[in-house]
Amino acid sequence: MKKYFLVLALGLILALTVTNVSANSPYTTWTMGPGHYLYRTQDAYTPVTEVVLPIRTAEDLFVAPDGYLYIADTGHGLILKLKDFETVATFGKDFLKGPTGIFVDELGTMYVADGGSNTIVIMDQSGNLVKQFGRPSEPLFGKSNEFLPRKLLVDARQNLFIINEGSVNGVVQMNTDGNFIGYFGPNASTMSLKMILQRLFLTQEQLDQMIKNVAASPSNIVKDSRGIIYTVTAGTARIQSIRAFTVSGKNIFPNTFGSNSFRDVYVDDNGLLLAVDANGQIYEYTTTGALLFRFGAKDTGDQRLGLLTNPTAIERFQDQIYVLDKDKNAVVVYQTTAFAKTVHEAVRLYSQGFYDEARPFFEQILNFNGSFVMAYQGIADSYFKDQDFARALPEYKYAESQSGYSNAYWELRNQVLQKYLGSAIILLFGLWIVSGVFTHYEKRYRWLDPARNWLRGLQKFKIIDDLTFMFRFIRHPIDSFYYIKKDQRGSLLFAFIVYIWVIVARVLSLYLTGFTFTRYPNVSHIPIENEVLTTALLLLIWNSANYLVSTISDGEGRVRDVIIGSAYSLFPYALFVLPIAFISKYLTLNEIFIYTFSMNIVWAWTGIMLFIMVMEIHNYSFSETVKNVLITLFTMGMFLLTGYILIILFRQLFDFVLAIVQEIGLRG
Amino acid sequence: MARSSIFRLFLALILLFEFGAMNQSVLALGSEIAANYFVAGDNQGTSWNVEQSIPDSYTFVAENDLFQLYVNKTALSFKVVDKRSGYIWSSNLDEKIAGDRLNKTWTAFAQSGVSIDYIDSKMSNGRVSITNGKVSIDTALIDKGIKATVHFLDPAISMDIVYRLEDAGVSVEIPFNSVTQENPDFTLGILYAFPFFGATRGDSVPGYMFIPDGSGSLIQFGNTTKASTMYYGKYYGDDRGMITYPPYDPALYFPLNISIPVIGMVHGEKQNAYICIVEKGAPYGEIQAHPSGIITNFNFIYNTFTYNQTYFQATNRAGDGVTIVQPETNAFDIKLQYRFLTSTDSDYVGMAKSYQRFLVEKGVLKKVVNGAGDIGIRLEFLGGEKKKVLLWDSLIPMTTIAQMDTILNDLGIINTEVVYYGWQPHGASTMPPATLKVESQLGRLDQLRALAHKINAGGGHFYLYLNPQAAFEGEKGYSLRKDLAISITDDELIGRDRGRWGYYLNFPALSRRYLSLSKTTYTELGSGLALDGIGSLLYSDYKKNNNLSREEAIVKYQELLSENQGITALYLPNDYMFSYMNAYYDIPLDDNGYIFTTQSIPFLQIVLAGYVPFYGPAMNFSANTEEDLLKQIDYDVYPSYFLTNEVTARILDTRSDWIYTSSYAQWGQNIRQSYQWLNSLLGPVKGQEVVARQMLADGVSATTYANGKQIIVNYNDAPFTYHGVTIEGKNAGILEVTP
Repeated sequence: MKKYFLVLALGLILALTVTNVSANSPYTTWTMGPGHYLYRTQDAYTPVTEVVLPIRTAEDLFVAPDGYLYIADTGHGLILKLKDFETVATFGKDFLKGPTGIFVDELGTMYVADGGSNTIVIMDQSGNLVKQFGRPSEPLFGKSNEFLPRKLLVDARQNLFIINEGSVNGVVQMNTDGNFIGYFGPNASTMSLKMILQRLFLTQEQLDQMIKNVAASPSNIVKDSRGIIYTVTAGTARIQSIRAFTVSGKNIFPNTFGSNSFRDVYVDDNGLLLAVDANGQIYEYTTTGALLFRFGAKDTGDQRLGLLTNPTAIERFQDQIYVLDKDKNAVVVYQTTAFAKTVHEAVRLYSQGFYDEARPFFEQILNFNGSFVMAYQGIADSYFKDQDFARALPEYKYAESQSGYSNAYWELRNQVLQKYLGSAIILLFGLWIVSGVFTHYEKRYRWLDPARNWLRGLQKFKIIDDLTFMFRFIRHPIDSFYYIKKDQRGSLLFAFIVYIWVIVARVLSLYLTGFTFTRYPNVSHIPIENEVLTTALLLLIWNSANYLVSTISDGEGRVRDVIIGSAYSLFPYALFVLPIAFISKYLTLNEIFIYTFSMNIVWAWTGIMLFIMVMEIHNYSFSETVKNVLITLFTMGMFLLTGYILIILFRQLFDFVLAIVQEIGLRG
Repeated sequence: MARSSIFRLFLALILLFEFGAMNQSVLALGSEIAANYFVAGDNQGTSWNVEQSIPDSYTFVAENDLFQLYVNKTALSFKVVDKRSGYIWSSNLDEKIAGDRLNKTWTAFAQSGVSIDYIDSKMSNGRVSITNGKVSIDTALIDKGIKATVHFLDPAISMDIVYRLEDAGVSVEIPFNSVTQENPDFTLGILYAFPFFGATRGDSVPGYMFIPDGSGSLIQFGNTTKASTMYYGKYYGDDRGMITYPPYDPALYFPLNISIPVIGMVHGEKQNAYICIVEKGAPYGEIQAHPSGIITNFNFIYNTFTYNQTYFQATNRAGDGVTIVQPETNAFDIKLQYRFLTSTDSDYVGMAKSYQRFLVEKGVLKKVVNGAGDIGIRLEFLGGEKKKVLLWDSLIPMTTIAQMDTILNDLGIINTEVVYYGWQPHGASTMPPATLKVESQLGRLDQLRALAHKINAGGGHFYLYLNPQAAFEGEKGYSLRKDLAISITDDELIGRDRGRWGYYLNFPALSRRYLSLSKTTYTELGSGLALDGIGSLLYSDYKKNNNLSREEAIVKYQELLSENQGITALYLPNDYMFSYMNAYYDIPLDDNGYIFTTQSIPFLQIVLAGYVPFYGPAMNFSANTEEDLLKQIDYDVYPSYFLTNEVTARILDTRSDWIYTSSYAQWGQNIRQSYQWLNSLLGPVKGQEVVARQMLADGVSATTYANGKQIIVNYNDAPFTYHGVTIEGKNAGILEVTP
């Protein structure tokens, strides 16, 4: 039974082209929201397609304004020129070893950083070699510095800015003849507490074995049409990973949330900056440093469109983002969504100074997402420009812009002052006269004596007496501590009231401090439990440490004296911090001196009071007091350390017991 | 535009095929079928032909009006001849030919009806196929089919495989009571069922594989693929009882679960197609799809079934532990239904219709949609959410009952599906009460009753939102010790849902809470519940004395829902819940976007169309409103919105901060306009089944309904003219066609 059937029918050739209908994104999109937290938002970009190209471990991608794509095909050692993802030409097969960076100027001249041969290669638009040069010979370059060019760009004056791998000194600047011009925009090295401790305690040999603490070298570079040069640096602090340099080499990019593994950056003329990091996450900023969107994620084997495994370059062309992926050997294309287009339009108008024109766009953005902080800033600036300060003020508050708020408030306060200053002065003057007259006659007729007697009568209550005693410290601190020691004034009960008062004042001051000066622009982010606990803990260990230290160093004070004495020493804080917080509401950044100076006085005064307390209560000489205070502080530190170690040990013990129980349960 | 151009070409193909079919002849000679058709006139200058045969090793088993069944008694593979076309479906590879990239193991795998993975005492896996292992096979003819008993002698595992001819195709069963594991050193791990059913080489056959990913997804046959590994997909998602912690990455959307156990293939669109429905055993089933280019040059897709698996039991927090095999074999029957389609039915619409018929015949899919009037709209309101102020929780009322009434009056849409979320005391992130109690700041129960009656009387439906499985972390209202489901590693199951972390309740706790609440909701409000979670999330529970397998959980959930008096809406339900739903919420509008898939299709929508109304995900969160609305028109999906009366900024720092835009003041106008647009187009096809769908051009789709209406959706910016009617760019139109 062997019979073959032939089935013949129509078949089809599958045309492989790029489709424009975008898919749902597999990643979430985030924007910078209140309190410098990231909040979810609508998709800014949706993935369109992944175009697999005949390339291997390609390191760089460049999109020319006419839409031609240039890819530095590192694995094959050539430059690929593409149009609509179809190869048009390949260049440099004969002289390129492993190109890692490509830049093409308006004339089509190609500048290539060849990582394989560590040279810079310049080719004309048809791929003919114009020039090739390696390490600069100038002594200024540095005797032991290597030349490992990886990325580059060329500015309008034909200067080459070259990312030199591992260079501590920053970007290498050369001319097209291969002459070294100088270094540009170096990163600063960072020193952590751990490093400082290592330097203190490790031997030179040990230190030599460790990785040297050098400034991270920038990992990529791009310039905008104004000639500002942007670099991204991997392995540096997240908030400083993007830098923007003026011609003079000054960084003008503010600290902003970024990534510590940025691979590439792209900037366009509409005030938008894109950066991609090694985790496949794409960040979009305004060129003034506001984070608009963060989206994308690493492909951990899901193989979903839009996820990246090892991105090396990012470019924008019209409404699309192209990301080159070294492991996928592909370019992933993303499409701007309608929502992101609105955001971009707003940013474009705003960055060009058309604040009023940008406002309706910002308002539309807020309709879509109320946590878009950048939009509040735009609206606030627009109101400010229109001199509508009353409306600008709340918008600045939403935007968490303390300087903007301060400026708007200054204007508003100025209006009020101009309006009412005259009458206020007259009123004050009148009050002054009235009170003068009143005091004069009061002295003669003693009208207020009943009230005075009643108040004096109140002093019979211990608590009231303790309270009035507090004010004595302002003028007679030393005597007053003596009274405590002799059990004449003060009480434990009142001491605890003061401690609670201090804690409450601490928390309330955080809420009451004016928006211009507060550390917490969003009151809901105030960590109340934390503040209460740390303050209480500090008070507790200060008292116990001081008492314990004093008993072994001939201090005379009893526990009671230390507790009461410390409580009264805190009076400057307890009495003045809330009024200062309250007054700060009416100050602007122009008067920041008043705020910080008065806060410093409060702290210094409290410190001096504590010092005098130790001296008087324990009956020390000045030098003994200094010694005692220092030992007390050291003991406090030891308390914290011991507590920390105990917690760790108990956790381990708990783990150990749990593991035994589980193992018995499983195998027994 | 790879996807659409393919379909344009297919369209041409259909026309040509109609012409060509006249020449086809089917010769029936005893048990031999000869088919020979040839279609001339190919506009692409290409044609496909595959040699098909029934080798001597196959024995004729059964025949009915449409099909003949042959079984190979040594490999346990089978062939089905579709007598309508003469096309032969083969469950396995007959012979390896030159150019096939198959090694010995792969060849045995391709040629055997089933292969198994076993786990030995060292917890390592081994694979054995019928054709390369020591096996003994007994066969016996039964009514309309054959029963084979296969003994894998080496790991000493055996089972029955029953092949039976059905009206629409062939069924294959492996009953659990026939599965034996005689040697305690070897346990049955995974069973691979007919891995090469309908397999094709490279692009030798035009067509595609279907995977039920999201709304539905196709993988075009080709020589190469963008995929670097095959596609795996567990039906109903991973069993949290086995994995404890689902992977969580805030930067990603977790891929949607596979909710319907159907796979299929098309061999030449409008020519031949099949679907394979996993009628029994889906809770332990998994799809594995290999586009050509991954390991082999074949396109193949099949089901696997997991009987036992190893898991890692950590014994301390540092992560040390042991790998052991699960204590008890998963008990389930397998039943696969292969259904064959021919000529014009052979595309994904036909596949969906075939699955729809299957569900209707089984009584799973019931007609609940009303055929006339306006379309529905789902409006989900957030009632309240709590926020910590100083040291205490305080409730933020976002939409009170009275405000909900005002909003609904203002909108003036009847047929609304109103879902109240966060209605419970202290708002959305607290555990809902066991009996109906509404947060007092939102209003009184009698207000809610009046509103519910008003909505229900007006043609809409009112539901209270409930996730009956979730036990929110750090909240009161359940017992950590008694009420939670436990994974195989003896940990609580943990998951995330609507911005909250939580545990999952075990069935006794779940049913106790659910039953009393659903009962009081019906008696107090005359309304039902909108159930999240339970429709899609299926987990086994390893709690001592309370063990519940996935298979048992399905039965329990079904019993639970069948006691409902009120009607129920379900979020993303799996197939086993279809018969209890009055509405399907959050229906996916896309697949999960795997790079090797070539087209996302409205398979799920076509299955449900005409039976149950389905509503999309909330449109607030859409970044391309216009495009997404067009897609809803294209897929016959009704719109959804998430609303609050208050400004959204009030819930910014709460657990409901995933609702980042919701204020009615901002959305009201938008909703009214979108609804009017959708209603004008989808209203005329309300309650109608889909009969055909095609791409007229790149970015232009046409969906034909049973009442002869055709909806054309133009996703492009440029206008499109069809039969003299011009559809503007980014717009849609409705046509009359004679069905």
